[in-house]
Amino acid sequence: MKIDHTVPMEYSTEENKMKILGFWIFLGAEIALFSTLFAVYFTLQSNTKVGPSATDLFHLSPVMIETILLLTSSFTIGLGIHAMRLGLKKPMMTFFGITLLLGAGFLGVEVYEFVTYISEGATIQTSGFLSALFTLLGTHGLHVTFGLLWGGAIVAQVAKRGFTPETSNKAFIFSLYWHFLDVVWIFIFSFVYLKGLMG
Amino acid sequence: MMKQLFPAQHVMGFLFSLLLSLIALVVVWFDLSFTAGITILIVTALVQAGLQLFLFMHVKENAESKTLYLNILYALFVGLVTIFGTLFAMHWGYMVR
Repeated sequence: MKIDHTVPMEYSTEENKMKILGFWIFLGAEIALFSTLFAVYFTLQSNTKVGPSATDLFHLSPVMIETILLLTSSFTIGLGIHAMRLGLKKPMMTFFGITLLLGAGFLGVEVYEFVTYISEGATIQTSGFLSALFTLLGTHGLHVTFGLLWGGAIVAQVAKRGFTPETSNKAFIFSLYWHFLDVVWIFIFSFVYLKGLMG
Repeated sequence: MMKQLFPAQHVMGFLFSLLLSLIALVVVWFDLSFTAGITILIVTALVQAGLQLFLFMHVKENAESKTLYLNILYALFVGLVTIFGTLFAMHWGYMVR
């Protein structure tokens, strides 16, 4: 295996470069996936003859908390990659740990939101609007949940093996995934919640 | 040490992303027309996405960045055709009633 020391370690082998490229192509497919869910949501959002409308259902404060948690976690994982490139293992693991905690916090608020909606009688079966809403939010939340497990495994590997071309590659690819989820959330925040609250 | 761990570019990018979310709130706080509101949301969301892409996802420094841009543009094309094609068929009167 040829290691190129002129680039950051996560790019240092041919295989690593291919894995990063491959992950970008996967993110392209994820854009297509979320686009279909947004298309369904925009199509069904006014189907609220039964059950609440977006304006009735949404509250700004939990959504703002979710947004701030996820934006901050995107920042801390960026700092984690920066620390990794400086070869600082402990700060990198700390930043990744904070990122995962913020992600768990986000999920907690999202679950609380779902429980509130359901207790108000707004379930996935109530109306077309709610089916589309829960599918879109749920798919994003599922990605975050998977990210917590994936990120946790990477922190454990870095703790055990330190920075190698393999572990740094995995950590970098995970950071791409996490930033991508933040971007998807920004679109949910803007075009589902804020647009819904606009009335 | 703190300066090393918190590069100014990242900190500024983070503060800017929080600011963009606050700017987007304008559409809820003020009674804007639909067109004005949706324009603000599109602009703030796109700037946010660009910020993540260039600052945090390091798309520029990748040796294959041209391939990445092409891939992202293609994915966006597929996504936009999916969304606007669906709206065209289901809402904007393409269907014959």
